[in-house]
Amino acid sequence: MNPIDPKQLKRDATWRAQDILFGLERVPESQKLILGSSDFGVYEFDVAAEKPERVAFTGEGHTSYVTGAAIVGQTLVTCSYDGKLIWWNLADRQLIRKVDAHEKWIRRVIPWADKNRVISVADDMQCKVWNVETGELVASFTDHPAMTPNNYPSMLFAVDVSADSRWIATGDKVGRTVIWNAETFEKTGEVETPILYTWDPKIRRHSIGGIRSVRFSHDGNRLAVGGIGKIGNIDHLDAPSRLEVFEWQAGKRLHELEDPKHKGLIEQIRWAEDDAWIMVAGGDHKGFVLFYDAASGEPLHAETSPGHIHGATFSDDGQTIYVAGHQMIERFAVPQEAVPAESNPPKAAPAKS
Amino acid sequence: MKRSHFCGSPEHRIDRRQFLGRTATAGAVTATAADMTVLDLLRQPVLADELKKQGKSVILLWLAGGASQFETWDPKPGRPTGGPFAKIQTSTPGIEICELMPKMAANLQETAIIRSLNTKIADHGGGYKLMETGRLPEPGVDFPHLGAVVARELGRPDSKVPDHIEMYTSHEGRRKGTSGFLGARYAPMFLTDDMMPQNIRRLESISAVDHQQRADLRDMLAQQFTRELQVPSVASQNSAFERVRGLMSSDYLFDIEQEPQAMRNHYGPTQFAEQCLIARRLVEAGVPFVKVARAWWDSHGQNFETHRELCADLDQSMSALVEDLRQRGMLESTLVISMGEFGRTPNINGSLGRDHFARAWSCTLTGCGIRGGSVYGKTDENGNTVAEGEIGAGDLFATIFKAIGIDPQKEYMLGSRPIPLADFNTTPVAEVLA
Repeated sequence: MNPIDPKQLKRDATWRAQDILFGLERVPESQKLILGSSDFGVYEFDVAAEKPERVAFTGEGHTSYVTGAAIVGQTLVTCSYDGKLIWWNLADRQLIRKVDAHEKWIRRVIPWADKNRVISVADDMQCKVWNVETGELVASFTDHPAMTPNNYPSMLFAVDVSADSRWIATGDKVGRTVIWNAETFEKTGEVETPILYTWDPKIRRHSIGGIRSVRFSHDGNRLAVGGIGKIGNIDHLDAPSRLEVFEWQAGKRLHELEDPKHKGLIEQIRWAEDDAWIMVAGGDHKGFVLFYDAASGEPLHAETSPGHIHGATFSDDGQTIYVAGHQMIERFAVPQEAVPAESNPPKAAPAKS
Repeated sequence: MKRSHFCGSPEHRIDRRQFLGRTATAGAVTATAADMTVLDLLRQPVLADELKKQGKSVILLWLAGGASQFETWDPKPGRPTGGPFAKIQTSTPGIEICELMPKMAANLQETAIIRSLNTKIADHGGGYKLMETGRLPEPGVDFPHLGAVVARELGRPDSKVPDHIEMYTSHEGRRKGTSGFLGARYAPMFLTDDMMPQNIRRLESISAVDHQQRADLRDMLAQQFTRELQVPSVASQNSAFERVRGLMSSDYLFDIEQEPQAMRNHYGPTQFAEQCLIARRLVEAGVPFVKVARAWWDSHGQNFETHRELCADLDQSMSALVEDLRQRGMLESTLVISMGEFGRTPNINGSLGRDHFARAWSCTLTGCGIRGGSVYGKTDENGNTVAEGEIGAGDLFATIFKAIGIDPQKEYMLGSRPIPLADFNTTPVAEVLA
C-alpha cells in the first residue's frame, strides 16, 4: 500500500449533478457511494462503473433534505431535516424502518460501529444514540441551550465519537462543544470557540456560522472544531474557513487556523491515521479541501471544488477522497505516477465515515 | 363624481377651480411647502373625511432585505426550488404555509395572502422605492411614502399623538420614509437607536408648573389672536403646538414596561417583538401609521438557517400582534401589512442561499377591510413565475387604500397636475377585500 501524501493529491474525476448532496458515505470494500440528496432521496452511486448512474433506495423515504448517512455492517441509517432516521438494507436498498427520531432538523448521523450503534444530533439540541439492530433509542442527552443568548433558536450541527469509543463530542451554533463520556453519557468537558458564531447585533440583527464539524484525533486527545471565522457582512459566507484544535482534556487551544483564500464553512474534518495531518472540506459558493500539519498548523495542500462541499469520505486504503456537495461529486487521488515506489508519508484516515 | 365640500363659510370658500388656479399661479411643478399650504385647507375639520373618525390604522411590518416567499407564505415542498421545509395547514382549510410560521398558521383567519406580486425591480434601493411609494420614481416628483399618505388621509387634525412613526433600529437598508410632496407635516417620527423618542421630555431646568403656565399663557394669547384674526395659519400654529405638547406627553406609549409581563412574553423577547408591542400601543392611542422594520432578510448565504432564525421572530411577533389586536377589538380597524422590497430566488445557490427576486413573490394583509383566510394569485410549481393573478406594487397600494377606506383614485394636486393616491392604471384586488 502506498499511503496518501496530501501534497500529491489531485482531482481526478468530477460528476455533475442537478441536486445538492449533503450526506455521503462509502460502502466498505467498494467504490459505491451513498448519497443523501436535496431531492429527499437516498442513492447508491458506483463510481467504479464505466458510466456511473444513481440507483435509488426504495420505500417511504424522507420528506426533506437528507443530511447524513452512516453505515454499520450491512445497515445504512440516513437522517433528514424531516426529523426521521431511516434504516435501510444496503444489499437490496430496501427500507427497514423509519423512526421519529428528533423534533427538529437532524443535522448529522454518524456510525459507532464498535458498539453497533449510530449517533444523531438535531436542532432539538439532543444528541441521541441508537441501536442499529433494533432501532431502539439507547440514550438521549444534551447540554446545549435551545436558544442562543440573543433569544433565537440554536442549532446542533456536529457530532463525533472517538476511535476508542470513550468520548462523544457535540458542537452547536453558538460555538460550544461538549464532550461526553460515551459509557455513561455524562458531560466530561467542553471547549469554547466563540469566533465560529457571528451575531450581528446592529447592522443586520441575526446570526450566521456555528460549529459545523468536530473530530477527535485517533488517540482521542485532540479535538478539531471547524466552521467559519467572524463575518462582516452576514448576508454571505464571506470569511475565512476556521479550524481550532484543542487538547481538550487540558482545555488547551493548540491552533487557530484561518485561510482567507478558502472562505466558508468547514463541513468535514478528518485526521490522518497517525494524526500527522488534518484534512478539512467545505466552502462558500465554491468548495475546498485543505490539509494542515497537525503539529505545526502549517498548511500542507489545498484543492478547490466547483461547489460547496457538504460530505467527504475516504477509500478503504486511504488513497482516494470522495467529496459531494452543491451539484457535484468529486474524487481526489494521488496520480499513480506521483506515488514513489518506496515512500513513508503519513497514513490516511480509515473510512470511518 | 362631482366633489363638493363647501360649507358656506368664507373661510372655506375654495373650490377645485380656485384650488387649481392658486397652485398653477404658484407655478409649482416640483413639490414645495407652499403647495401643501393649499392642500392643508383640506385638513380643516369641516373637510375632514369621515374616515378619520373611524380611527383606522395601519401597521407595516417591513421585512427589510427581502424575505423568502418559499419559507413564509408560498411554500413549494418537494420541488427542486422548494428547500427543506414542509408546508403546514392553517386555520383556514385548504390554505397551507411554511412550517416556519406555525403561530401565524393558527391565526390566519383574518389574513389574506397575496402570492402573485411581480414588481420586477430586484435591487434593494429600487425595490424599496417602489414598495414604499407604490409607483416608479419620476424625475422632479417626490412621491410620498405609504406612511405619509396614510397619515394625511387618516390622521386627525386634533390628534395629540404623532400620525406617522417608523422604527428601524438595524443599520442595513435603513431609509427614512419620505413625505415627499405632502410636506414635512407628514414626515415620520423616525426611531433608529432607541425605542423611546429622543428630546421629547421636558427640560429639567423647567419645572412642571412653569411648563404648564407657559402653555396656558400661549393658549390665552393664541385664542385672543384667533378671535381677532381668523386665518388658517393661526389654527395650524395652534395645532402644531398641541401636537408637540401631545408628543411630550405620549412617551409612555413607547414604554413597554407598562405592559403586563404576560403580554410581553406573548410577543416575545426580541427587539422586533417589543417594537410590535409598541406599535399596538401606538395605534391604540390613535396613531394612524406605524412601520416596524425587521432587518435583515437578505440571505444570499445560508438562507434556510437565516429564515429559521428570522421567521421564528416574525411568526411569534406577528401572530401575537394579530391576536392582541383581535382581543382588543382593534383588528377591524387596523390593517397589518407584511412585506419587503422583494422576495427571493427559486434557485438555491452554492452557499445554500437565495438571491433577490421580484418576479413572483408574496405579501400579507391582515385585519381592516380584508377578507381573511384568503389567498390571491398563484405561482407556478417551482415558483419561477406568476401563474395566476399577477399584480404590481400599484395594485397592492390600491388594495391597501381601499381596505382602509381611502379612495385609491383620490387625487393630490401637484401644481396643476393631478396625482392619484394609487398609481394610474392600477386596480384594487377585490378578491382580498372584505
